Amino acid sequence: MSQDGEPAIATLIDAARSGDKRAIARLITRFEDDRPEAAAVRRDALARLDAAAALGIGRVVGITGAPGVGKSTLVGAVANRIIAADPAQRVAVVAVDPSSPLTGGALLGDRTRVRFPHDEPRLYFRSQASAAELGGVARATHQACRVLVRLFTTVIVETVGVGQGEVEVVRLADRTFLVLQPHGGDHVQFMKAGIMEVPDAFVVSKGDLDPAASATYHTLSASLRLAAPGAGDRPIFRTSALTGAGIDELAAAVAAAPAGGLDRRAPYFFERWVATEHGRAGLRRLATLAPTTATYLATHGGLDGAQQAFAAS
Amino acid sequence: MSHLLNDAKGNVVRDAPWIFRTYAGHSSPRASNALYRANLERGQTGLSIAFDLPTQCGYSSDAPIALPEVGKVGVPINSLDDLHVLFEGIPLERMNTSMTINGTAMWLLALYVALARERGVPEAQLRGTTQNDIVKEYLARGTYIFPPEHSLRLVAETYEYCVDRIPEWNPSNVCSYHLQEAGAQPVQEVAFALANAIGILDLIQQRGRIDQAAVARCVGRLSFFVNAGIRFVEEMCKMRAFAELWDEITRERYAVTDPKLRLFRYGVQVNSLGLTEAQPENNAWRILLETLGVTLSRKARCRALQLPTWNEAMSLPRPWDQQWSLRLQQILAFETDLLDYPDLFEGSPVVASKTAEIADGARAEVARILAMGGVRAAIDSGYMKGALVKSMAERMTRIGSGAQVVVGVNKWTDALPSPLVGGDDGGVFKADDSAVADALRGLEETRHRRDPDRVRNALAALTAAARSGDGMMEPSIECALARVTTGEWADTLRSVFGEYRAQTGVAGQRLELDETRAARLRVRIEAFAAARGHRPRLVVGKPGLDGHSNGAEVIAVAARHAGFDVVYSGIRLTPEEIAHSAVEEDADLIGASILSGSHVELTRQLVKALAAAGGADIPLVVGGIIPKGDIAALEALGVRKVFTPSDYELGEVMERMMDVIEGRPG
Repeated sequence: MSQDGEPAIATLIDAARSGDKRAIARLITRFEDDRPEAAAVRRDALARLDAAAALGIGRVVGITGAPGVGKSTLVGAVANRIIAADPAQRVAVVAVDPSSPLTGGALLGDRTRVRFPHDEPRLYFRSQASAAELGGVARATHQACRVLVRLFTTVIVETVGVGQGEVEVVRLADRTFLVLQPHGGDHVQFMKAGIMEVPDAFVVSKGDLDPAASATYHTLSASLRLAAPGAGDRPIFRTSALTGAGIDELAAAVAAAPAGGLDRRAPYFFERWVATEHGRAGLRRLATLAPTTATYLATHGGLDGAQQAFAAS
Repeated sequence: MSHLLNDAKGNVVRDAPWIFRTYAGHSSPRASNALYRANLERGQTGLSIAFDLPTQCGYSSDAPIALPEVGKVGVPINSLDDLHVLFEGIPLERMNTSMTINGTAMWLLALYVALARERGVPEAQLRGTTQNDIVKEYLARGTYIFPPEHSLRLVAETYEYCVDRIPEWNPSNVCSYHLQEAGAQPVQEVAFALANAIGILDLIQQRGRIDQAAVARCVGRLSFFVNAGIRFVEEMCKMRAFAELWDEITRERYAVTDPKLRLFRYGVQVNSLGLTEAQPENNAWRILLETLGVTLSRKARCRALQLPTWNEAMSLPRPWDQQWSLRLQQILAFETDLLDYPDLFEGSPVVASKTAEIADGARAEVARILAMGGVRAAIDSGYMKGALVKSMAERMTRIGSGAQVVVGVNKWTDALPSPLVGGDDGGVFKADDSAVADALRGLEETRHRRDPDRVRNALAALTAAARSGDGMMEPSIECALARVTTGEWADTLRSVFGEYRAQTGVAGQRLELDETRAARLRVRIEAFAAARGHRPRLVVGKPGLDGHSNGAEVIAVAARHAGFDVVYSGIRLTPEEIAHSAVEEDADLIGASILSGSHVELTRQLVKALAAAGGADIPLVVGGIIPKGDIAALEALGVRKVFTPSDYELGEVMERMMDVIEGRPG
């Protein structure tokens, strides 16, 4: 045990690697910690995780959409289907809900809709508050994913997005799915906001409400061709969590997303951290310290080392 | 003389009293049968059956989530065999039976009809009520099973079945009762109940399965179940407003010409929300005064009355407590001269004006809800739920600030010890722990004796009807006769309709906490976050089947307002699920809310589940209707702090939770 009553990192990592959910949960809390001294802990933890027999790096899949479109129910169904279809799959879900800008507190209610069997070691669910950050994806979400991709094959990030959020989750995820509901009119809003170009695929939820779902599907495929001509055909999935229709196909697509890309996106998250902590002046200083952000990270031992070094510089 | 009551021939008469009931049932069909027979001998004139939560939520007694709750808040009914025992020696043809049953109302009605058939009692002679008000389950009480559209279909089908075959049965009883318990003000209570009734009748009309004359008879069978609070003058006016508006709606919206079918018929359980744990003997006076609101005015007098007991804020009632409440009704009806007179308030300008004020407000609110798309849309959007949470928060704020006086709670708190709680049992009811064994044995015997082919065929017919849209009442009666169990009936429909997970109703709500106190708490929480690198994480959940989610939701909203990160896990969770949530979320504290009376059993299971999940060190606090005598037992299990209804000051609750998180002594 360390002084604050928390188990030592090495102990946590051994336990987490053997599937101990309490240890996984505590590791995530250590990664979410945004105090400067936490960078050293993260660096140590990642080094230990990566030094241990490689589990490989998992994929991060973003599921986003307006409130009430049925994301949580969908995520629950997809995660259950993925592990049922493939015994080698381990799925973690991070669900982000907004914090109150006035009080800082948050009410995280996604667990009421995503119900995993509590004795299933291959599923893990974590709620996260967005803190005061715009974009529906907390800084902490990226940090939690850094741990989770080293312990799970698939990490699903569920965010409430009505614009900016989609852009952020695309930065985080290897693949992003935008969920729309029949009659939502969301795609019109997204079109206006220029968001339709962003996701890799679409899901029309609540397909049990046919024929509204059919109408939405057809409007969507027509408007996609208008929104991003030549961008290639992006798939549109139709699902019903109630009847189970379309869940197999969506689960297969989630499980087929490319894996291992998260660390390559570290420079973006480092720049974001610099901007938050040190503002524009910080970004200008960063530009003088190395030819590219990626080089800076490489020289200083990755994201955490770079944070320590930059803070000290 | 004009101040006396005359019949059509001009003879002086006395009114017949309302039906005296006591909401009762516990442990087992056998024990409840003995209780009912004793109550009837003491002068009770109707039955009001309390079912246990597994029966209400569609589980047989041996389902894992059901086990801790079997026989706790009511009687377990697993099959027709249990109903035979429950009604042994009680003549169905002479009984007026009210069943507080909602999600499984069709099933219990089918069992009752099947019982009549096996006893050779003509169905048409059955009289009584199935509560069958699913809307308020979504809003306040929580014993729904299926998504709203399917639940409403079940409600409509019970009307369609009863209208010709059991003409004196009230297929549903629209409950404003639970809305007041959830915080509704009089105008909201009236408006939400009327909107709810309109939702049911509109649906029956739209379905078009019965003709217009039968629809009018359905209008005549729709009854209400109302709450009566301590402001009894206002409550009386509320009842008059209710009756006026109902007459208006039935005449204008449903074109019912027969005035008898337009009568506003209602039963009452007076308010439990205002009963206090402090100086519990005072509740006897409160119950008396609340009774006046629904009996004084002849024009708006209830048809049936059931009273809570003085110790209800502390525990479930004992037979003696129920007898004491029944005596109140008998004294009012037979010793006083109340039933000698016509309406006492006709022509009173005060009563007329107050009644008009409530009626106008409710009329406008009904119009607002209908404009939103009716009661279904108002559930989906969370409008009604949100309004209730807000009213409840305002009430708590008024009590907290002393603007609303509650004797013994925020005023005149110093009192002599009550001799009523001095007995060996501490003045509270202890459920019989052998109930579970009895229920399981009965279930086992039924399964052993029945004809499996008949069961299979009956369930297949039920599935077919559910899928095709045909009536499910007859197939349900055949299921009952075949000794299908409660769990099998509900599971069959779950497999067709799916299960409903409610919106939490808490999003967007802001609580009027004492702001100075909240601000002080936020400073403390920021300090915690700075020291530990994260905000305090609180997992709030309700283990077991009890769906009264208000307490948990008020705590969740208040905690967010104070600056906690609150993971709200919702209702109907097993202890294992809550433990697992707390572990995965790396919770700093678990808050479990339990109002079903199973707090010791559920806490024991929760502590065990936490240990099994590797979270033995996560501190736990428990809130609910918990008798003082049980607090030590909970603390011995490791609960760090127990909150009871006397802890109504939210700021105080939040501070004590922070104490536990920070490891200070409680």
